[in-house]
Amino acid sequence: MRSNRIKFVVLICSVFLIVSVFSSFGVIKASENEYPEDVVKDYPEGTVEIYGYGQPQYLLEYYNDWLERNRDIAPNVSIEITQTEGAADTREKITMNSVAGDYESLPDLFYSDPVNLLALAEGDLVQKVTNFVRPLEDKMVDGALNQATIDGTVYGMPASVRPQLIFYNKSILDKYNIDPARMDTMQGYIDVGRELKEKSDGEVYLSYIDPGHYTWRYYGRRGLMPQAEAKIWDDEGNPVIGTDPGAKLAFNTLDTMYSEGLLYKTEIFKPGLYDATNAGKIATFYIGAFWDEFLRKNCQETAGDWRVRPAPVFEDINLRGAPVTNYWAIANKPNGEYDGLVKKLWYDFNFDKEPREVWVKSMVEQNAPYANPISLEMLKDEFWKKPSPFYGGQSFRKMEGEGLVNGAPNLRITPQSAEADVIISAQLERYVAGDQTIDEAIEAMQKNLEDKIGQAESF
Amino acid sequence: MKLINIIRRNKHPYIFILPFFILFLVFKLYPLLWTIRISFTEWNGMNEPISVGFQNYKDLFNDYMFWDAVYNTIIYWLVGGFFIIAIAMLLSLLLNYKKLKGLKFFKVVTFLPNISAAIAMGLIFGMLFDQNLGIINELLEIFGINRINWLTSTKFSKIPVLTLYIWRFVPWFALVILSGLLKIPIEYYEAAKIDGANKIQQFIKITLPNISRILFFCFIIVTVNSWKMFNESYILKGPGTSNISLFQYLYQSAFTTFKMGYASAIGVVLIIILAIASAIQFIIRKRNAEI
Amino acid sequence: MNYKKVNYNSVLAHFLIIIFTFISLFPIVWMFIIALKSPGESISGFSSIWISNPTFRNFVNIFDKIPIWSSMFNSFFTTLMGLITTLFFCSLAGYGFAKYKFPGRDFLFYFVIATLLIPPEVGAIPLFIIMRKLNLINSLWSVIIPKAATAIGIFYMRQYIIDVPEEILESARIDGASEFGIYYKLILPIIKPALATWALLVVIARWNSFFWPLIFLRKTAKHTLMVSISLLPVSEGLSTPWTVIMAGTTFAIVPVIVVFLLLQKYQKAGMTTGSVKG
Repeated sequence: MRSNRIKFVVLICSVFLIVSVFSSFGVIKASENEYPEDVVKDYPEGTVEIYGYGQPQYLLEYYNDWLERNRDIAPNVSIEITQTEGAADTREKITMNSVAGDYESLPDLFYSDPVNLLALAEGDLVQKVTNFVRPLEDKMVDGALNQATIDGTVYGMPASVRPQLIFYNKSILDKYNIDPARMDTMQGYIDVGRELKEKSDGEVYLSYIDPGHYTWRYYGRRGLMPQAEAKIWDDEGNPVIGTDPGAKLAFNTLDTMYSEGLLYKTEIFKPGLYDATNAGKIATFYIGAFWDEFLRKNCQETAGDWRVRPAPVFEDINLRGAPVTNYWAIANKPNGEYDGLVKKLWYDFNFDKEPREVWVKSMVEQNAPYANPISLEMLKDEFWKKPSPFYGGQSFRKMEGEGLVNGAPNLRITPQSAEADVIISAQLERYVAGDQTIDEAIEAMQKNLEDKIGQAESF
Repeated sequence: MKLINIIRRNKHPYIFILPFFILFLVFKLYPLLWTIRISFTEWNGMNEPISVGFQNYKDLFNDYMFWDAVYNTIIYWLVGGFFIIAIAMLLSLLLNYKKLKGLKFFKVVTFLPNISAAIAMGLIFGMLFDQNLGIINELLEIFGINRINWLTSTKFSKIPVLTLYIWRFVPWFALVILSGLLKIPIEYYEAAKIDGANKIQQFIKITLPNISRILFFCFIIVTVNSWKMFNESYILKGPGTSNISLFQYLYQSAFTTFKMGYASAIGVVLIIILAIASAIQFIIRKRNAEI
Repeated sequence: MNYKKVNYNSVLAHFLIIIFTFISLFPIVWMFIIALKSPGESISGFSSIWISNPTFRNFVNIFDKIPIWSSMFNSFFTTLMGLITTLFFCSLAGYGFAKYKFPGRDFLFYFVIATLLIPPEVGAIPLFIIMRKLNLINSLWSVIIPKAATAIGIFYMRQYIIDVPEEILESARIDGASEFGIYYKLILPIIKPALATWALLVVIARWNSFFWPLIFLRKTAKHTLMVSISLLPVSEGLSTPWTVIMAGTTFAIVPVIVVFLLLQKYQKAGMTTGSVKG
C-alpha cells in the first residue's frame, strides 16, 4: 500500500544518498584511478629502498605523504632514498651488488637515464614492465616509452619527458629591436646572434659554449644532432659520423656560431656563466628544459626578463629538439616484495592530479626542481598553464609542453654509447680549444670510433 | 734450520709485522689477482667476462688517449714531484727555524691547503685560472702580458693541475720532513757554528745526511702519489685528453664507459710503470746510502 | 754603545714564511668568503672578494641539505678508529722492521713497499665482493679495517725508528723488559713526534676520504661528511648554489684544524735527549 511505497522510495533515496556521500569521500573508488594491474594488495612491513640522484629529499616529501594516503595497503612500510652521483653511479652500484651476489641489497626502485637503463636491462638486472606500462601509453606524452624499450619490451616507467628549448632574455632582445620569432629557425637563430654581436659591439653573446664534455651532450647529442637527423652509426652499427650529412649539418651549425664569435666560452654550471648571464652578456640558451631550475636559482637578478620558446628547426627538416626522458625502473630482485607498491607509487605520482599539484606548490615555495607531468590528462589542467613571474608572466609549464610538439627522435642508443660519447666529445673539446677545425674534428671522431669501437652492437 | 725453529726464535718481529700481511692477503692480493685476470677479458660488469687474451694490451698500445695520459702523468710526476719536495724542504726549514715568531700559527696556516676538501679547492683554482675573470689573468694583464686560456687550451691545461697538486701536497711533505728535522740534535749545529760553518754548509753537511732516510721516503711517496693522482686532474679537467692523468683514465674506463677489462689492463700497466719508477730509485739509493 | 744587529737570516725567514702563509691562506679565505655570500652574488673574478650581503644562511642551508649529524658521527668514528688502529699497527710493524734482525727481513720490507705500487682502486669490484662476504657493506668498519696497517705508515715508521740508538733497547732488555714492553714503554714515548706527525696526516686522509666510503657505505645514514658534501654539487637535476657548497667544505675543515692544534704540542724536538746519559 501507500506506506510501503513510501518506505520503498525513502529506502531508494537513502541508498542513493549514502552512495553519493560515500563516493564523494572516495570509499567507493571512482573509475578514474583504476589500477591496470593487481597492485592494490597488502604489503609486508619493511623499507622500500630507492636509488636516486638529484636532490631526492624533495621527492621524499611526496613519497611520505603518499605513504600516509596508502596506509591501508602498506601499514608498516617506509621509504628510504639512497643518494647516488648520477645514473652511471647507480648503474655501477647495481652492477656491483649483482656481481657480489648481493641481491637483497638491490634497490626496489631506481632512477635512470636511457643509456644506463638499457645497459642494465641487457644485463638482465631490470624488471620488464611492458604489461603494466604499455596500456597506459596513450595517456602519456608522445614517445615516453621509446627510450626504455628493447625489441618491444619496456624496462622503464617514464618519470619526465622534457624538451630542448630556447631560453631568451627578452629585455636584451627588445633593447636591440630583435623579434624573438626570428629564432624559429636555425638560420634565424644564427642571424639573431650576428645582429646582437654587431649592435652591442661584441658585448652581448648569442649563447655560451662549454669547453668540456657538456657541449657534446647539450648542443650535440640532445640538440643539433637529432634535429639534423644525424646518424653516428648506420643500421649495421658502423660509424658514419664522418660522412653523414646530418652530422655535418649539425657540426657546421655549431661551427658557424662559434667561429663567428657568437658564443661565450665558459663552463656551464659554474659561477662564471651565472655572472655573465646576470650581467646581460648572454642572450639565449639552447638547452633542455631542466635549465629552468638553474636559471631560477642562480640568476635571480634577471628574473622577469626570460621567456622560453621551442627549439629552432632546420628549415628543410622541420623537427624540434629531441625530448629527454628519465625513467624509474624496478631492479630484478629475486624476492622483491614491493614491486607492486612502487608501481602504484609511480602510477599515482603521474596520474593522481591533486597530490601532484600539492607537491609542486610546495616545490615552488622551496624553489626546488620539478618537471611537467607526463600525463596528458594532467597537462590539460589550468595548473599547468600558470604564468611564472620569472618568465615575465609567460607560463613556463605550458611552453615546456609545447616544446615537445614535433620533437625529433633521439639518437640511437647502443651498448657502446657511453664510450662513443667520450670519444666524440674528446675531439669536440679539442675543436673548442682551438686545436683543430671542425672538419678535422669530425674526421678524427670517425677514425677514433672505427679504431676503438669498430662496430656498435644493438640492444 | 727448520722453519718452525726460525719462527719461534724470531716470533716477536714476525708477530709485529703479521697484521699487515694478513690485511694484504685479503684486501690487496685477491683484488690484484682478480684485476690481472679481468685484464685479459672484455667485461661490462654484468654479463660473463669474455676472454680476449692480450687484446686489451694491444688496444692500449694503439690508444692515443692512453699515451696522452701517460705523458701527462710523467709531467705531473717529474715536474710536480720536483717542486713539491723542493718547496716542502724550504717550508720545513722555515718551520724549524728556532727564531721564528708565531711558529704555531704558521704551522697551522701553511698546513691548511692539505686539509681543505679537494672539491672546494677545485672550484677556487678553477676560478683563479678562469680565462675571462680569473685573478691570475687579471694580474697578467696588469703586467702587460696577454691573458692565457689556462683551462680551455690543450697547451696550458696541465699548469692549473700542477699548481693545485703542488699547493695541496707541499704541506704534507713539509710535515714529514719537519719530523725528520726535529730529530737532529741541536748540538750538531752548535758544534758546526763553532767550527765556522755557514748556513749553507750546515745544511749540506748536517741537515741533508740526517734526513736522507726521510727524504728517500718522500721521493718514493711522491712517485706513487703522482701516478695515482686523480682528484686534481679530474676537477680541473681540460679539453680532450690534454691533462687527464693515467689513473683518471683508468677510472673513466671502469666507471664511465664500463670497460672493466680495459680498465684492469690500464691498472696492470700502471703497476708496472710504478714498479720500474720505484725500482730505479731504490737502486740509485742502494748505491749511495743505506735504505 | 749598543748596536742592534740586523739578523738578515731572520728577516729573510720571516719574509718567506709570510709569503707561504699568504699563498696557503688565500684560497681558503676565498672559500670562506664565498660561503658567507648571499645567493646571487657574483663569485668569480676580483669582484667576488667583496661581500655585499654577508649571511650565515648558507651554513644553515647545509644543515638542511645533508644529514649533518649522522655524517659527522660517521666521519668522527671512522677517523678516530682508523687513527688508533693504524698508529698502533704501523708503529709496531715499523719497529719490527727497524730494530730486529730476522730472516727475510729485508725481502719482506721491500715487499711491503712494493705493495704501495698497487692502487687498490683498480680492484673496486673484487673488494666489494670481499666486503660483502665479510658482511661489512654499510658498516663503518669496511673503511677502517683494510687500512688498519698501511704500507706507507710502516715505511714511514721504520725510517723514523731505525735511528733510535740500539743502546737504549739493549739496556732495557738487560733490565728484563719484555719485547712488547720495550715497544710500549720505551719506543712509543721516544717516537712521539713521529706518532704526532703521522696522526695528523692520517686524520686528514681519513676525514677527507671519499672514494671507498662512497662504494662501501651505500646508505645515506652511513655517509661520512665528505661524501655527503661531495654528493651535493652540480650535476644535471641538481643545482645547489656554490655558496652553500663552500659553506659545507668550510665546515668540514674546522674539526681537522682543532685536531691539528691538539697534536701540535707532541711534535717537539729532541727525540733522544735525556735518554742516553751516563
